[in-house]
Amino acid sequence: MVRIENVALHFDDGKTTALNGISATVEEGEFVAIVGPSGCGKSSLLNVIGTLERPTTGEVYFRCQPYSNIADASLFRRQHFGFIFQSFHLIPTLSALDNVVVATIGCPGPAREHTQRARQLLAQLGLRDRIDHFPRTMSGGERQRVAIARALINNPDLILADEPTGSLDSVSTEQVLGVISEIRQQRGITIVVVTHDPEVSGRADRVVSMRDGKIEPGKEYRQ
Amino acid sequence: MNLFGFALGNLYRRPARSSLTIAAISLGVASIVALTSIAWGFEASWQRANDARGTDLIVTRIASENAMPSPFLADKLQATLKGYPHVQEVVGLLSEMLSVGDNAPPVFVFGWEYRSYLWQHLRLIDGHLPANDTDADIVLGSLAAELLHKKVGDSVEIEGRQFLIRGIFDSPAVVENGAVVMTLTLAQQITDKPGKVNILNIKLDDHASDSVIDDFKTRVRETLPGYLAITSGELVRKNAVVRISKAMSNATTLIASLVGALVVFNTMLMSINERTREIGLLLALGWQRQTIVKLIVSESVVLSLAGGLAGILIGIAIAGGLEHVELMRGKIEAVFSMPFLIAILGLSVVLGVAGGLYPALKAARMLPSQALRQE
Repeated sequence: MVRIENVALHFDDGKTTALNGISATVEEGEFVAIVGPSGCGKSSLLNVIGTLERPTTGEVYFRCQPYSNIADASLFRRQHFGFIFQSFHLIPTLSALDNVVVATIGCPGPAREHTQRARQLLAQLGLRDRIDHFPRTMSGGERQRVAIARALINNPDLILADEPTGSLDSVSTEQVLGVISEIRQQRGITIVVVTHDPEVSGRADRVVSMRDGKIEPGKEYRQ
Repeated sequence: MNLFGFALGNLYRRPARSSLTIAAISLGVASIVALTSIAWGFEASWQRANDARGTDLIVTRIASENAMPSPFLADKLQATLKGYPHVQEVVGLLSEMLSVGDNAPPVFVFGWEYRSYLWQHLRLIDGHLPANDTDADIVLGSLAAELLHKKVGDSVEIEGRQFLIRGIFDSPAVVENGAVVMTLTLAQQITDKPGKVNILNIKLDDHASDSVIDDFKTRVRETLPGYLAITSGELVRKNAVVRISKAMSNATTLIASLVGALVVFNTMLMSINERTREIGLLLALGWQRQTIVKLIVSESVVLSLAGGLAGILIGIAIAGGLEHVELMRGKIEAVFSMPFLIAILGLSVVLGVAGGLYPALKAARMLPSQALRQE
């Protein structure tokens, strides 16, 4: 599904290197965990895969389509990717429902249908009674489930999750991991997760270890 | 929730800033509405006064730029003009702004030739018109009577001379309703301008066509150096007060528009700076850049439209209030037209777009990964 070829990512006019010649692949339906110490480039790699960052050199392909040929990265993201962030990134003044619906604004189709789908997703994620609640009144686990519903609302092919349990306690972590496992089973969505959490990486099909902007040779393993 | 609902929500969640921005825009728009309506009202009122009198043409001094044209000796000129084809009447008019009685605000005092056609359009509410050219008799406009607290039979002092109020009248023009009218002879006496008038009103006969009016103008221009024959509309537009008030209203419109656009610009720029992470999130969620632009511009247009609507209401209230201020009553009149008010709303939309466009483009150019990292 995703092929990464010799990707480098530099910041500050080349003074800082986030990714240093990465090559990797992600197969359709696979659950890949990227692990490694802080600052090793995990999130940068996730951003490059998700078209949030443009690589300085190298090329990324999604189903054989090179990213350098994508005319509208925003539209491409909407059509193919769903993002989950460590700090949820919910809009505090919107209800749980509207936080999900906001991802559909500008999408084709009637708004009523988008809202209906958001309600169904939230109900599936166990938030039927919390639909009209605002993020400040919800627990960390509930907030992350809202964020997962938002990531799923546009039927993505690939979920990109950056430390999805990083801000959660053990109970909430278990809830969120349960939800992610269910999504995989029901929808067969490909998932790439950046994590420090062995609980998360333990559920992945494959674990990729990174250090200093590179994939550590010999430390990639299948489970 | 759609894009517009989201934009409204964004404004609602910053109530203090949104309200202050709307207030700033509304004050600017109110000043435009009030000044422009009064400038137009001033023009319309003088135009109505001239039209109501039934004057076809006005002869005045060519270089006169005052509120009322500068006085000139009328006798010889009047006789000459009476000899022109189709001329029915040539009537002198003298006008001054004078204090009437103690502590009363100044009012317009018009002197019209006794028994001339100028008197015919006045609708007497009470009393009579002056009985002759020389008795110290006057008539008051209904508004002037109210302002001066006078009725028929009372007397008033003008320029040290006592006058008897013979009648109270209504006129289609507010400037006449707020005025004192006396015979030309009396007006020339109390202003020390014997034989002088500000303008000569020309009434043509019923057979006078547009070409007769044009011929009259040409003849005055060619044979009476220093004088000009113009229609009442042309006289009003030439009026210095009308021109100054219009210039002030135009300057106010320009300044208020610039300030309004800057206020919207500042508000939206602050707003997007505070919402950098949120905009980064929307971009990460797949919002297209034009959708971000639409969101920010929608917010700025809503702010400026709300300011425009509030400003129109405040402007109408201010203009209406000024009409009733003692010093202004009978001298100004606010005129509002639907096209003008719609144009003001259109201007508000333009302000919103102008003020919101740069912040919107700046927001749309953000890199989602950098915006999401922003604290």
